[in-house]
Amino acid sequence: MNAPVSNSQGQLGSLLTSAFFVFAGVLTLYDTTGYTDRDSQVFPQTVAILLIITAGISFITRFLRPLGEDGFGAGVWWRRCLLIATMLLACFVMPYVGFLPAGVVAFVGGLIAAMHDKWTKSTVFLYLGAGALIMVAFFGLFKFVLLVPLP
Amino acid sequence: MEIGQFLSAMTPLNLGLALFGVIAGTIVGSIPGLTATMALAILVPITFSMEPASALILLGAIYTGAIYGGAYAAILLNTPGTPSAIATTFDGYPMAKRGDGDLAVALACFASVVGGMVGALALLFLAPPLSKVALAFGPIEYFWLSIFGLSLIASLSEGNLAKGLAGGAFGMILSTVGVAEISADIRLTFGSQTLIGGFGVVGALIGLYCIPVLIDLVAVPDRHLKVEGGVRSVRIGEAFGIAMKSKFNLFRSSVIGTLVGILPGAGGSVAGLVAYSEAKRTAKPHQKFGEGEPDGIMATESANNATVGGGFIPTLVLGIPGTPPDAIVLGALLIQGVRTGPAMFTQSGSIVYTFIYGLIIATILMLPAGLLIGRYAYKSIVTIPKAVLVPTVGFMTIIGTFAIRNSISDVVIMICLGIFGWVVARFGFKASPIVLGLILGPIAEQGFVQGWTIGSAINDLPGMFFGRPISQAILAFTLITLILPLVLSRRQRKSAMEAD
Amino acid sequence: MLRRSILKAGAAMALTMTFGTSAQAELNGPVNYVIPFGPGGESDISARLQQPFFKDKFGQDMVVNYQPGGGGAVGWASLNGLNGDGQTIMGINLPHIVIKPAQKEVGFTTDGLNAFYMFHFTPDAIVVPADSAYQTLADLVADAKANPGQVTMSGSGKASANHLAQIKFDKMTGALTTYVPFKGTGASTTALLGNQVKAQWGYTTVGAKQGEAVRMLAVAMEERHPLFPDVPTFKELGYDMVGGAYRGIALPNTASAETTQMWSDMIGEINADPAFRQQMLDGGFALLDVDAAGMADFMAARTVEYLNDAREAGLIE
Repeated sequence: MNAPVSNSQGQLGSLLTSAFFVFAGVLTLYDTTGYTDRDSQVFPQTVAILLIITAGISFITRFLRPLGEDGFGAGVWWRRCLLIATMLLACFVMPYVGFLPAGVVAFVGGLIAAMHDKWTKSTVFLYLGAGALIMVAFFGLFKFVLLVPLP
Repeated sequence: MEIGQFLSAMTPLNLGLALFGVIAGTIVGSIPGLTATMALAILVPITFSMEPASALILLGAIYTGAIYGGAYAAILLNTPGTPSAIATTFDGYPMAKRGDGDLAVALACFASVVGGMVGALALLFLAPPLSKVALAFGPIEYFWLSIFGLSLIASLSEGNLAKGLAGGAFGMILSTVGVAEISADIRLTFGSQTLIGGFGVVGALIGLYCIPVLIDLVAVPDRHLKVEGGVRSVRIGEAFGIAMKSKFNLFRSSVIGTLVGILPGAGGSVAGLVAYSEAKRTAKPHQKFGEGEPDGIMATESANNATVGGGFIPTLVLGIPGTPPDAIVLGALLIQGVRTGPAMFTQSGSIVYTFIYGLIIATILMLPAGLLIGRYAYKSIVTIPKAVLVPTVGFMTIIGTFAIRNSISDVVIMICLGIFGWVVARFGFKASPIVLGLILGPIAEQGFVQGWTIGSAINDLPGMFFGRPISQAILAFTLITLILPLVLSRRQRKSAMEAD
Repeated sequence: MLRRSILKAGAAMALTMTFGTSAQAELNGPVNYVIPFGPGGESDISARLQQPFFKDKFGQDMVVNYQPGGGGAVGWASLNGLNGDGQTIMGINLPHIVIKPAQKEVGFTTDGLNAFYMFHFTPDAIVVPADSAYQTLADLVADAKANPGQVTMSGSGKASANHLAQIKFDKMTGALTTYVPFKGTGASTTALLGNQVKAQWGYTTVGAKQGEAVRMLAVAMEERHPLFPDVPTFKELGYDMVGGAYRGIALPNTASAETTQMWSDMIGEINADPAFRQQMLDGGFALLDVDAAGMADFMAARTVEYLNDAREAGLIE
């Protein structure tokens, strides 16, 4: 049913990922040419070569023997994106609005993304209230007990 | 080692500090992003007004609680609360997914207590001779140890050796990003100011483990963890029974943890990894490591708690901190006017022994406290609706990552790493090899460069790298780890083919 | 409520400023003391020694934070992005802050750091294990001359005080030793004790900490350290070497002149405390008193000196 689709998606993705790692190794090798000290070149070069070889092997074996696993799987995309987007957004607004408001952005985003059931009045109040409590508690813990300078 | 020191460890104040320390430490350790180092650094000023022994007991209790606490998030959220709990995710999370999370948490507690005891007893009876082990490990030994670690990573990547090694190699490359420690070069930053700080282990841990879990949680409507018939307290008894059956595993892993803890710079993550691999290598055929095998959790948790006691051995005997929390403890002692270094065991013996007894007591106290907190943690994670769990954990990752270096860019890096980790995990490159590569990378690099420098200086490179007894032993273990599974599986395949 | 008290404090400060008196310690809460290294090093220890005195004299907590990375570069690169309100300070180290920017684009410049006090230094010292064959410095030099490159010496980092000292000393003796860099003095001491190397380019603090387990062959001071009356100075033995790693504190450069002065006075007060001085000496440190006023000249002199040394050592062009 879905198997052929995820097969090719898995196949393509797996090959692309392996290719990415090979590329990362090559990039590292290229970067090492700019180092002035021999000592700082040795290790990255060795490890980059190891990476290229192993990622190359995984590329070749997957190419020759498509297994049909892997893939992004079933799952709702907009929820995933919403979660990540709000978290990143929170980071970017943090210097301007402070930690707690930014945290609220991330929290609400995550809440909406994770909420698969229908929203009712009680759940809205309950969840938002619980969320506010949790955020304030953590904020207090970090800022006043652990003395972390949260913006 | 007199009764007087034991009694002074049992004063109400010290008992109270031990209990408080264990509880506070467990909570700190369970929050990804909060490390024992952080908690200790904050609490050092409070110790100024205390007696040296009491201060040590408090700090030691927090340390041991934090190492245990890391298991909660590892088991229930697939995110190690501290780096030492990385190996606990291997079997902890699968156990939680199939509904055995409460069992896993209880097992982690028993194992941690056993491991902590073994480490503390080693500290009590064997500290001076064992400290020699710390000194015998030179740069080359560390280098081979990290190669051994890499081979363990590979051998744990069932059926996908190449991808596991690639992940590990990639993690090692990530560890080189930023200003090089051993030279003045700046590597792989591509001109970016933000990357000069490199990828911190804790931030990468949170990103690579936790974010993918969150992404997956929001995507499907299922509950996070299955629970059948509510939380049963009967499981503590069950856990105890399982623990008793695995006495040898517990003991062996604790010994491994103690020994690894003695090595300055190695840490709980390496200890857990080595103990887990050993447990897996000697597993009975019916045991399925990696799919929720109780012995797996017990191996890692006993090993990492044993590093607490083990780490104090070079700290107290030689004045060389085994791990960063040990360094903070040394600093606290220095301010108290306690002479650290070789003189400490002899000159300040009563303080040291009172502390060790206090550590033992704190470890014992961790049993009831840990089981209680564990049950509570399990209950809340399991019953809390996913819609609240996800944003809470997400918020926690943000605040936790920020607290590491007070840097928002660290949080952004963490999230980006998380997205990356999720994508590559979907195609066979798991998080653990990358994170372990990140941890082992600096150890490997420094060991290699230093060993190379010394070896070239004495014109005996081959002898340097291959001629030292400890290195040879580690190398042998590495080869066994890499070759044995291949040999065994080939033999299995052969016999399976012959049977057809 | 809080805002009002801050306003009040600000007004009070402004008033006292206009009357020309030195600023009162108007801190608003706990202070963030960022150490750009991991715990356990000399920077950490000296900060920890300051902590109780600070709390005692000025009533505020001094919270020590660690921001290791790049041998200090990560911390210093972030300094000027931190809040300049006087609540955050950062430890600084010479020669690191002079040499690192000269070598590469590390994200900060020597002049861009608002250093306001240099409060101690750890004099360079050659340390050997107690059971080493080297009884005097001459033994080590002789061995190095007879076997070029074979005398391995551990030290903390590259292009650091230890490394510079090793290069300088090699030039003076004409011998060739091999420098093996380690991550921090702790690691280089471990290597020494484990006999992985023959000697260590360390500091007097190593001698203080390790006590009977090590022997110092010489210290780079003008006169012998009070804690080690038996250890000769390099000068006595004919080598003009005085120096070590200097440590001080800086504020973000967005901090006001008053804030800088206030901090300079506070640290100066701690540094003048006899109990503090004794603790530092007992730890093997050597004290120094360069405050905000004298900082510019001090830094200028040191910069010239270190850049010169580094150039001769081939570490920079």
